[in-house]
Formats: sequence, structure tokens, C-alpha cells
Amino acid sequence: MAVKALLIDTVRCTGCRGCQVACKQWNKRPAEKTEFFAGPGYQNPKDLSKDTWCLVTYNEVEIGGRFEWVFGKKQCMHCLVPACVSACPVAALERVETERSSAVIYHKHKCLGCRYCMLACPFLVPRFEFDSPNPYITKCTMCFDRQEQGELPACAKACPTGAITFGDRAELIAEAQRRIATNPSVYHHHIYGLEEAGGTCVLHISNVPFEQLGYFTDIPHRALATTANTAMQAIPLVMFGAAVVLGLSYQLRNRTRQGEPPRAHG
Amino acid sequence: MEISRRSFLAAAGTTGTAALLGLLGLDLRPAAAYAQQTTPRRGKVYTTICPYCGVGCGAIVEVDDAGRIVNIEGDSDHPINLGAMCSKGASLYQLHDNPRRLRKVLHRKPGAGDWEELTWDEAIRRIAARVKQTRDENWISQDANGHTVNRTDAIACLGGAALDTEECYLLVKAMRALGLVYIEHQARI
Amino acid sequence: MTNHWIDMVNTDVAMICGSNAAENHPIAARWLQKAKDNGTIILSCDPRYTRTTAFADYYCKMRSGTDIAFVGGIINYALQNDRIDREYVRHYTNATFVIRPEYDFNDGLFSGYNPDGDPPRYDSSKWGYELDESGVPRRDMTMEHPRCVFQLLKKHFARYDLETVCSVTGADPETYRKICDVYTSTWAPGRVGTWLYAMGTTQHTHGTQNIRTYVILQLLLGNVGKAGGGINALRGESNVQGSTDMALLFHILPGYLKTPAVGLETLQDYLNKYTPKSNDPLSANWWQNYPKYMVSLLKAFWGDHATAENDFCYSYLGKISGNLSYISLFEAMYAGKIKGLFCFGQNPAVAGPNANKERDALANLDWLVCVDLFESDTSVFWKRAGVDPGQIQTEVFLLPALASMEKEGSVVNSGRWAQWRYKAADGPGEALSDAAVITRLVLALKELYQQGGQFPDPIVNLSWDYNVDSHGEPDIHMVAAEYNGYYTSGPNRGRQVASFAKLAADGSTCSGNWLYCGSYIDYADGKGPELEDGPHITQVRGRKTINRMAKRFAEDPAGLPPGRCIGLNPDWSWCWPVNRRIIYNRASVDLHGNPWDPKRWVIRWNAEAGKWEGDVPDGGWPPMANPDGSENPKTKRPFIMRPEGVACLFAPSLADGPFPEHYEPLESPISNPFSSRQYNPVIKVWEPDKIGTPDEFPVVATTYRVCEHWQAGNMTRNTPWLVELVPDVFVEMSPILARELGGVRNGDWVIVTSKRGRIRARALVTNRFEPFFVGGRYVHQIGIPWHWGYNGLATGDSANLLTPHVGDANTMIPEYKAFLCRVEKEEVA
Repeated sequence: MAVKALLIDTVRCTGCRGCQVACKQWNKRPAEKTEFFAGPGYQNPKDLSKDTWCLVTYNEVEIGGRFEWVFGKKQCMHCLVPACVSACPVAALERVETERSSAVIYHKHKCLGCRYCMLACPFLVPRFEFDSPNPYITKCTMCFDRQEQGELPACAKACPTGAITFGDRAELIAEAQRRIATNPSVYHHHIYGLEEAGGTCVLHISNVPFEQLGYFTDIPHRALATTANTAMQAIPLVMFGAAVVLGLSYQLRNRTRQGEPPRAHG
Repeated sequence: MEISRRSFLAAAGTTGTAALLGLLGLDLRPAAAYAQQTTPRRGKVYTTICPYCGVGCGAIVEVDDAGRIVNIEGDSDHPINLGAMCSKGASLYQLHDNPRRLRKVLHRKPGAGDWEELTWDEAIRRIAARVKQTRDENWISQDANGHTVNRTDAIACLGGAALDTEECYLLVKAMRALGLVYIEHQARI
Repeated sequence: MTNHWIDMVNTDVAMICGSNAAENHPIAARWLQKAKDNGTIILSCDPRYTRTTAFADYYCKMRSGTDIAFVGGIINYALQNDRIDREYVRHYTNATFVIRPEYDFNDGLFSGYNPDGDPPRYDSSKWGYELDESGVPRRDMTMEHPRCVFQLLKKHFARYDLETVCSVTGADPETYRKICDVYTSTWAPGRVGTWLYAMGTTQHTHGTQNIRTYVILQLLLGNVGKAGGGINALRGESNVQGSTDMALLFHILPGYLKTPAVGLETLQDYLNKYTPKSNDPLSANWWQNYPKYMVSLLKAFWGDHATAENDFCYSYLGKISGNLSYISLFEAMYAGKIKGLFCFGQNPAVAGPNANKERDALANLDWLVCVDLFESDTSVFWKRAGVDPGQIQTEVFLLPALASMEKEGSVVNSGRWAQWRYKAADGPGEALSDAAVITRLVLALKELYQQGGQFPDPIVNLSWDYNVDSHGEPDIHMVAAEYNGYYTSGPNRGRQVASFAKLAADGSTCSGNWLYCGSYIDYADGKGPELEDGPHITQVRGRKTINRMAKRFAEDPAGLPPGRCIGLNPDWSWCWPVNRRIIYNRASVDLHGNPWDPKRWVIRWNAEAGKWEGDVPDGGWPPMANPDGSENPKTKRPFIMRPEGVACLFAPSLADGPFPEHYEPLESPISNPFSSRQYNPVIKVWEPDKIGTPDEFPVVATTYRVCEHWQAGNMTRNTPWLVELVPDVFVEMSPILARELGGVRNGDWVIVTSKRGRIRARALVTNRFEPFFVGGRYVHQIGIPWHWGYNGLATGDSANLLTPHVGDANTMIPEYKAFLCRVEKEEVA
């Protein structure tokens, strides 16, 4: 089964936003109304939304006392053990792995509209169509349909510099490590998404620490579903254990009353 | 048929479990079927070159059976961009599918506050008449020193760096034949 | 470009100066990134930190308008540190030429200056070469003669020392020294540097001389003609190369022939004037073929009507005098002299300098015809805010046009690749191609002029034989076949001419543009992969033909001979001239025909076979030296388009001097420290009363572009996905300026005023701009993207309301890139 991933290398990014528009184009999501910019630099819109699944961020940072402009990319991280999948009561969100593709995809026909996925996601990715009378959740699909056709995700295809590469997760991790090792003074020594939330399929490397790019960096290095899983897995045990305990206590109580005729019930 | 409490409970339990399982979406259809749920976005492929900057990136335009463009993205076979597109190139679909595109010939009368529509035939007829009138009224065959000049300074032509080369050739041919000398375009500025 | 896009991958150092390539030619970054992966160093030199800078290895800032000082300093650095490719310079440039004693330069002026006249001009005969008895320029091969170009060059640029340069440009000395060092490291034959530039270079009153500094430097370093080298103009529109080649400019005819000047009564007068002569037997002097190209052009225009007896209809062409370029055109329109205007996909209300004046000028037209995809700002100039349509009598036609994917034809990229593209779907409503609009108009005018009128012959006799259909669409292949050219008589009648070497001056060939000869040929003249089936095999006038522009055979890097530079792609589309991918490539080899740089050679001489291998050589003549070192009389010098045969370090044919010299822009915050000439001494100053001075306008301003929008915005400001990204016009400024303006915060509205107009825009406060320390004090600079106008899905004030009606001394390209303004915080009521 394929475990496919994207590697985002902000050192190579020129902020051209070919990826952002290619995503809009492939998925035919409408443009949002914007004004000026959302922060320093040219970022628009302000954040991911029901219509914006890929967002380039513009960050003015300091590296070695020198001013630099570094670009980031926000999108669904396609976690290996997605919290959204775990939280969804009807499995409208699903992580699929086929022979050639993998992604965390969304089946709108199953969706209840409960938005537990939005609460669960540590990266605050899934967005809701609040203004629709028949609202659904939307998010990046890692162009699962394109993958199944043997094509690159739209963002990866659009990127001219290889700031976005698509491939097998293991190979991309090796490539990320190679780039960091070959240019240790350029890269920040961390692969974002390698272990966050238990490991994701969108890996980022950069020349600055990731909080400077506006990424969430307080994410535990284990699948968020594990806490819930642990608790949930305990339930049958707890229930069974409770049943046993209660049953036994009933028996014990009964034994002390042996000899008494059963009471009549009204 | 007599239903004992036990059998009722057993039957209810089984049905309920099955319903619950169904509700939980344990679907045995292949996940690849998901890919078919999305709107068809592939079709007959035509190649084009992006009309924006001077890099000349290749793009593919996909057209459905009804002749409608359904997708425009980079051409992976093109040796310069190898499928990549910047934000402008990636937006080409909206250059075509756009309610603001001009669909009709528009005409503004002198002094008018708004447009009216015209047919092509009428517009061409009027424009040709205007060109001829202006050219004839402002024709210079010789300058003050008696040199042959054969031109008009009263009509100018601007454009166009976004026209095809063949169109540029036809334009310069036509304008030079009319004796225009004020011929300019984006290359100058 | 002398080279092409993919070729950037072959370079060791890429200088991006006068261009923001990652912003406006983003896909160039693909090849620059690959180059970086192989150790290439990218240099970004710009007034502010841009998206290109984010990508570059080193950045040096420089005040807008100081490129000659900046690059002059690098030239001086190269000369002083002997980082010169001497053999290249000696043999392939005019460094050895001796200049006549009348040449002089003093206090900012060259000899021959005539201050009278509007504009003042130079008598360039004062800058002549000393000629020997045979009329060939005298050369001192040691390059020691005090009046040889090399010594004059050294003397001229000796004033461009590091301190002076940094105090004029505002560059940091340490960073500047690093830039000099890194770039001039490409002097070594085994290293090469490429120079990428665009409007940041050209849009100045000394724009041509800006380019000249790059040329001089690249020649000194031996970088022209090589893979990964060259002088590379990154052109801004998809087909500005094609439109320029087709000469939609007042002063030229297709193929860069000259528009005839008043006084040249006959064809022979004209040809005598414009056909250069060279007495040097080793100079190919390719323009000596001028008559063949001109006659073939006339035959393409007037067909069988053009005969030797009537001078091939030469008299049909309008004769010009004076400068009729864009600014002159609008000045004439403003003065009421122009009555009718065609605008084919151009939007001067936003794109023209001094936009207020240009918009007012439009009101003087009797009629205006706009052909466009969307309703442009220009087309509705009569109902913009602040004007009363009732007072504007201009009749306006707005014709709906087809977009690129809705019609078939070709466009030429910056690398001179002519690429064919196809119609995918119908356009909206009743939109037609520009070809159909022009055709319908021509056919209507032909009919009208059949009945009489002024000088009807050029129109009635105009050849327009393109199998026009019922919508007015011509067969676009027939058009392409005509600009390639075909035989009009003789045994080959009707056959496509396969190469411009075959064009004739006797009327037996026609060719709409000699440069494109070879782009559309008879199948019988094809060779190699193009004989295979594919969309490039076509039929024109009943003949099987090859449309080379439609070829789609990409290069297989694995199939290249060892050391061959990559990216030429000879069978992908077709480029001019004759599919030569890197021009001046005979300068990439030494006198024996061996590549200076064997690890990425472009051409090389195969002595056994007696011919060149690799790219199409820039002239098939054998190498300059025989194996024993003696001069081969059959050779030609490598720069075949110059009558000298060599490239010019000293350029005697330019209006403002044979060497570049720093002058300040017309509007500048400081006095020119290099001389007492404040600005270019030979520019035409159209409006002397509209020049801003630093006391009133203390801030330097420039205009530029963003990736997400394009030119005057008519297409991108109507595209929702792009409007979403960049909806509003903005002014970029440093936080220090923002503070000095009374605490302007990011997003606050500011008013920017110049001597010509004012705009309202949001402030984008960013560290990407820093003040410049020039002339002993701090000077601020701001930048405004100029894409906005009053019409469209996204609207905003046009930066060009601020820019001046003044242009380069040679080209008259407006000085959009450096002027003065005042910035004020908008008071909230």
C-alpha cells in the first residue's frame, strides 16, 4: 500500500502562488473577497477556509541578524493517524491507501455536519460551509483523484522550483534529511510533520524555526487519536469489568440471603 | 409464530448491530470509487502557450464532449516549465470561463453616457467609413519641401504584444498600407 | 535574449539586476534552482528586497536610477583587477580599435555636443574609428595605444571607484565589493555568468546605456555567445518579441528594417542609406543583405503589383521624420493632431506615463477602436470618475476578442522560440480573433477605396490572400507561410523559401519577415525528426509543409554528446534566426574553433568533417585560424550583424554616447556627483514645467509589478482567483519612512503626489525597503505596483498618474522607474 506524501521546502519557494491557484483551479473553488493583505507581505486570504485549501504565507524574519522573507504553505497535513478520522462518528473522513495513492479524504454523502473533525484537528484544517443551507466540510484532498490517475497533485505539478515534491513518504523523508545534512547552515534542523501528531504526509523543511512561519508547533509527537483511543478501548473493558463486578456483588449479596423465597414483583 | 423474549432480543440485537455497522460506514466499496465521485475534469487535450509573461510556458487545455473547457494546467511535456505554472498561468481557466468577458460589439455614441450593442457588420462598416474619412481628410502626399511622404498623421495604432505573431504581421501590413506612421505598442513602454 | 530560458541552468553566476525574475518570470526560477543545486550563485541587485532576493544568495541594494554607476563600478573592478578574458576581448570586441583624436569626454559630455535643438544632440562623427588605407578600422592588438578602445574604456571607468559608486547608489560597500568579486570571477574561460534584466534596466532616460554597461561587462568577462552567459532581456509579454519582430513600432518594418525617412524618394535611395558597408573582408556584415529582405517584404505586402518597374511599390510606404514614438504620439493626441486611434489589446489609460494627460488626450479623438477581452479602462475613459461624458465627443467601438486558447497561432517567447498553439474551444458570444477583426476591416476598406479616395493604391493593391472564411477569419497557416516567404516566380514558384540566405532582391521571393524565414518550409526541405508525423506537418496552398513552430520534440539530455550544454532543444518549436538557440555562439570558441569552455560547449569545429557541430553556428564559415595559427581567409568574425564583425565596447552609433556615463534620472534627490550634467544631456524634455524637485518631492519613487497581476491589469484584474490574491493597489515603504510620516501603519491609506498627479493607496510597511545613504544624507524610496485602474473587478488608482512624460535618449521608453514624489498619511475625517 502506498504511503504518499508532499515535501514542502520553503528554501526553494519563491512565493509565486502557482500552487495556491492550481488548487483553486483543479477543485474549482471560488475566489474569496479580500482587502489589501492579511499581514506583512502579500498573504491572501487570511486563513484556510471552505474555499481555500492551500495557502501561501509570507513571513518577514531574521536569519543571522539579516532580514529575510520566507514563504510557508498551509494545507491539510494528511496525518498517518488522523484525529479528524478518529473523531468523525460516521467515518465521513477516511485515510485511504491504495496501490498508488494515499490521502485523508472526505465522503460528503456521509457527513452529519457535526464538525467534530474541526475540533479534533490539531492543525485547524477542516473548514465548514457555514453560509450554505446544505453545508459540508472541505479541505485539501492531496488530489487523491489525480494520484489515482498517475498524476501529481495540482500544487506539486504547478511548483516550478521543486519547493513542493510529491512521492513516497519514506523517500521524501530521506530527501529532506539529505538536504538538511548537505546544507546544515541553511536549514533549520527539523522536519515538520515527521512526528507531529504521530506523523503526517505533508512534511516541511525550512531555513527558520516553524513558529516563525505561523505554523502550530505545540503539537504532541504522537497521534492525537491515541488518547481518545486509549480511553475508548478501555470502555468495553470497563463496561465488562463493571458488569463482572456488579454481577459478583449481586451474587454475593444473594448468597447472604439464601433460603429466603424470591420476592414477588408487582 | 411465537417469539420468545430471548429470540426477540437476539434478533433485535443482530439487526441493530448491522444497522449500527452500516451507520458507521464500514463500506466494502473500494476507496478508489471516491475518485469517481468528483466532477469529471479530464477531456480532449489541446496544447497552448500561456498568454502572460515572456517565458512561454506550455499549458494543456482539456475540453469535454460538449466542447467546454473543463481544466487548464501546465503541460508536463513542455521543456521549459515541465508542467509548472505560476499564479497567473494557473488561473487561465478563469480567463476563458468568465462572465466579464466581452461577448458583443459595443458602441458609444459621441457624448453618450453608456454603451449600445452593434452587429459586427455594422461596426466594421462604420469603422471603415471613419478610417477612410479621417485618412482622406488628413492625407499628406508631399511635405512642405516637396518630398513624397504618402502618409497620414491623424490616425494612430497601438497594440499588441498579446496578439499572435500572425496577427501582428497582419496588423502592421494593414496599417502600413493605410499610410499610418504613428504605429506603436507595449515594446516601446 | 541572446540565450534562452533553460540555458540559465548552465551558468556559474546569475546576476539579476534590473529584473525581479522570481516575481515576473517565475518559471525562470526552475532553471535557476537547478543551477543552484549544482553550486551556481544567484545575485540580486535591486532597490528593495524582492521575491527574487528571497531566492538569491547575495543581495545588494541600489537606489533606482543608478545602474550605470553600479555596473560601471563592476567594470572598473574588473579592469583594475585584470579580471578580463583578454583573448576574447582582443579578438571578438572592438577593444583593439583605435579611435580618432576628435573623440573626447569631459565633465559628462562627449565631443560633438550641440546644445541647440530640441532635443540637443551629438555629432557622432566625432567618435569615429581611425581607418587604415583599405578603409578598415585600425587595430592595436596589444591594446596599449592610448586611443584604443580598451585604454579609453579604462580611463572612462576609472572614476567609478567603490566609494563614489556606493555614495551614489546607496549600496553597502562590503556587500558591493562581494558582488563585484563574485560576478567578475566569471572572467575565467571555464566560468560563465549570465545577466538577466528587464524593465528595471530599460525604463530610464539612460535605459539603453544601462544595457550597454551590461554588454561591456559581459564582453570583458568573455560571457557572450557561451552557454550560461549572454545578455538576457526577460521580456514581459507572451508575444512582445513577436510583435517587435513584426515591427509594430514607428521606426521599423518587419525584421528590423527601417521605416523610410522623408527624402528617400526611391527604393535605391533607401537601400543606399540603410545597407551598411564594410571594407573588412573578414566581416560578414550580414546587413549587406538588406536589399533582399526589403524587396521580399514589399513583395509580401503588394504581391504581383510590386515589380522592379515600380520600385516594388516602395512609394506606397509612408515616409517619416522626427520621433513618432509612444510619448510623442500622446503629445500629438493631446494637441488634437490625432483623430482616430486603434487599441489592439493595449490599455494606455493605465499603462502610459503621465496617465492624467494621456486620458485627457483620448478625449480629443474623433473615434477610438478598442479590441479586447474585457472592458478596458481605456475603452471607458469617457465615463471615468471626474469627467462629464456629455463633454466628450469621441465615438468608441469596443470589439470583443478571442483569448489565447480560443484561436490558433504562434507566440514568441523571450528566448526567441516561436511556439505554435491551438484553439481548444470557442470564445464567448460573438468574440472574434484580432486576425478576423483586421481582415474584415481591410476587406471593407478595400471595397471603399475601390470607389476612390486619397491615394487608394496601397490599399486596393494590398495582397490579402488568406482564404478568409465567413466570419472573417483568415487561414492562419497561410499568414505564417507568407511571413516565412515563398518563391513568386521561376521553377520554384509557390515553394516556401527554406532560409533567408535564399531570399532575393529581384522580386523572385516574397517574405513578410526575413528573420522568420525557415519557420514554415516545404516538407521537401525538412530534415531530421521534423519529417515524422505530427501536428507540425501541415498543408498550405496545396503543398505539404512543415510548420516548425509546431514541433514538439523535446531534447533528451541522455542523448547529448559529452560536454554539450543542455537545454538547446533544437526540435522543440523553432527560434530565429535559423533556429540558432544561442546567438553569437562563434564567440564561444577560440580562434581554432575549440570551445573556450569544453564542459558546456555550444558549438565546436569538426576539422575532419569540415563543419561545425552543436547549435546552428552563427555563420557556417570556418574558424578564424588555421591549425598552424595563420588567419583563415575564408572565415568571418563572430558578431556578424555588426559591420565591424566584432562586438562593441565602444558604440559610436548611439544617441547619448559611445560609453555609458552615469547621469541622474530627470527627477532626482541629489546632484550628479560624476559631472555637472545632472541628467542625460540629449533627452527630450517634453514638459519642463512638470519636473519635480526634491524640496517639494523628497522621496524617490519607482513602479513595478507583482507576480499575480500583469501589465495594465485588464486580464488579471478581471480574474477572480488573482484578484483574491492581490486586490488592492499599495505603496511599499520602509518602517522608518512610515514613522516619519506620522506613524503610518501597515494598511493605512496614504496619498502619494508627484508633479503630475496624485494617488491614494494602502501603505505596505516593510523592512524590504531601507533608506539609501546617498550624497551624504538619507533618502527614502517607495515603490508602487502599476497594474490598477478605475475599471474592472478590482480597481484602484494608477501609479502612472505620477510618472513623467520623458524617455530614453535612444528609444524614448518612459522613465517609469525613477522619479520624485511626496507621501502623506491620509487624514481620517
